[in-house]
Amino acid sequence: MAASFLYLFIFTACTKDQVADFQAQVPAYFPKPQYQEHQKDFSQGKFDLGKQLFFDPILSTDHSTSCASCHSQTHGFADHNVRFSTGIYGRKGTRNSPSIVNLIWYPAFGWDGGVNHLEIFHLGPLTNELEMGDNMSHVLNRLNHDETYRKLFKTHYNVDQITDYELFMALTLYISQIQSYQTKYDDFRQGKAHFNQAEKEGYQLFQQRCTACHQEPLFTNFSYQNNGLDSIFADSGRGKITKEISDYGKFRVPSLRNVALTYPYMHDGRFWDLNEVLDHYSEGILENSQNLSPLLKKGMKLSASEKSNLIAFLKMLTDYQLLSDRRFY
Amino acid sequence: MKNIISLLSLAALIIIGSSACDKNKQKTTGELEIEFEHIWGMNETAFSLNTDYIHPMNGEALNFSTFKYYVSNIILTKEDGTQWKDSNSYYLIDLSKPTSLTLALSKIPVGTYKSMTYTLGVDSLRNVSGAQTGALSTTNGMFWNWNSGYIMLKAEGTSPASSTGSFAFHLGGFSGQHNIVTTKTVVFDTEKLEINKDHACSIHMSASPSYLLCNDAIANGASVMMPGSRAKSLAMDFYSSVNFEHLHN
Repeated sequence: MAASFLYLFIFTACTKDQVADFQAQVPAYFPKPQYQEHQKDFSQGKFDLGKQLFFDPILSTDHSTSCASCHSQTHGFADHNVRFSTGIYGRKGTRNSPSIVNLIWYPAFGWDGGVNHLEIFHLGPLTNELEMGDNMSHVLNRLNHDETYRKLFKTHYNVDQITDYELFMALTLYISQIQSYQTKYDDFRQGKAHFNQAEKEGYQLFQQRCTACHQEPLFTNFSYQNNGLDSIFADSGRGKITKEISDYGKFRVPSLRNVALTYPYMHDGRFWDLNEVLDHYSEGILENSQNLSPLLKKGMKLSASEKSNLIAFLKMLTDYQLLSDRRFY
Repeated sequence: MKNIISLLSLAALIIIGSSACDKNKQKTTGELEIEFEHIWGMNETAFSLNTDYIHPMNGEALNFSTFKYYVSNIILTKEDGTQWKDSNSYYLIDLSKPTSLTLALSKIPVGTYKSMTYTLGVDSLRNVSGAQTGALSTTNGMFWNWNSGYIMLKAEGTSPASSTGSFAFHLGGFSGQHNIVTTKTVVFDTEKLEINKDHACSIHMSASPSYLLCNDAIANGASVMMPGSRAKSLAMDFYSSVNFEHLHN
């Protein structure tokens, strides 16, 4: 009896340790995640299964496209520096593929926030006709005809027939571990690194001018804003979801973690580098753009040295630990 | 150690106690089948998919290829007010699948029930809770991939009243002014529902797909793909046609 109690205790302790391994280092200044189911459900086997699925083009209609095709670890889990991603049959998407780092802190997903839950997030790319392009029955049919996957899902989820539920949970388990909090910025905040003069001035300027939307430490406040790109909206953005006139032309404020790597920028990838982005904020905001963010109405004039200091700071948000983390590939 | 032993014996007692309860329950529960019959228009002829109809109100010719909707959260109420809630409470009625037209409920405590409450649609919680199973699985094609939420009623088909020749009404919405989740209650007036352990009772419901367009027309727009005021009025009109017919004890 005592032995079985002990066993139970050790077993629980082990599971917790594995989770702790992933979670322990999240700095104290991070908020509580929106999604925490992955901690309850975590096992190395499930994580590895999620990883295998993430890299497997079997999930797309023509076996051409995997999740990793457009969300590459070496590119901050965004696409490989292209404006629009290529999906099945060479089709091009209509919005820039966003980074999928730190999604457990997100209240909603996608550029327009139309997706309301991390577990259901996968349905979009899997079924979008420009991305992986299949209905869920076909996707599951392919997985259920694959002996390796059948065995893996049997082992880790105890199912004979793989359903969308297990597929979504496995992918979520992998994606939920993609967390960025080991940048020079984070080291600085924890007193483990020093900023040089340009970085320091860039950070001060950033805090004065940018954090209202790009709120630390996730570098977004998850709001939807029009930053004055257009006077006529080719893409209605948030308005497509809410159908409110006041939401047309608005997009989710993107996180800036790993921003130096995730070019090109904006929902349609129109700006190739950070200089172009800062030029836009400094000189390019269209004041007559409908629903323009009130914070941008007076413009955001930046001098050449301010721009270069800001860029020096933004480069401190690159997470080299994450980009090379062996667990994810 | 003494504490552990007494805890364990308590646990054992609880286990024995609860399994005894289970046995009792088996003897004191019964089954219920709820059958949905679909009719067309006012003359109450049986409705079927892939059949040419003329709409009795707007006069449009149309032919449905798909008609699916959710029924959920079934609750039975006894004379004394105690309620039984169906634990597996999401059903997708799909007119192309005859077996889906009968909802089989079991483990209902024996007794006399005065009313049944049911919901047309999927409650808001399940629209925001991530991955789901069974009738709520995304494999049913009833969940929007770009604007999360269930398509609670899907009607598709062909009609010369549409400029493209086809129509598609995907109706949903679980919050705010465009919420179409509708709860209805049937009060058994003349004959109460007598759930018994010997045989399954049955409740017969009817619904009329023609009501979807009783205040609207395909010519007004052959496609609805997201929550909104038109989605709501179309859904409400169809839901108004879902009615209790009779029961067999």
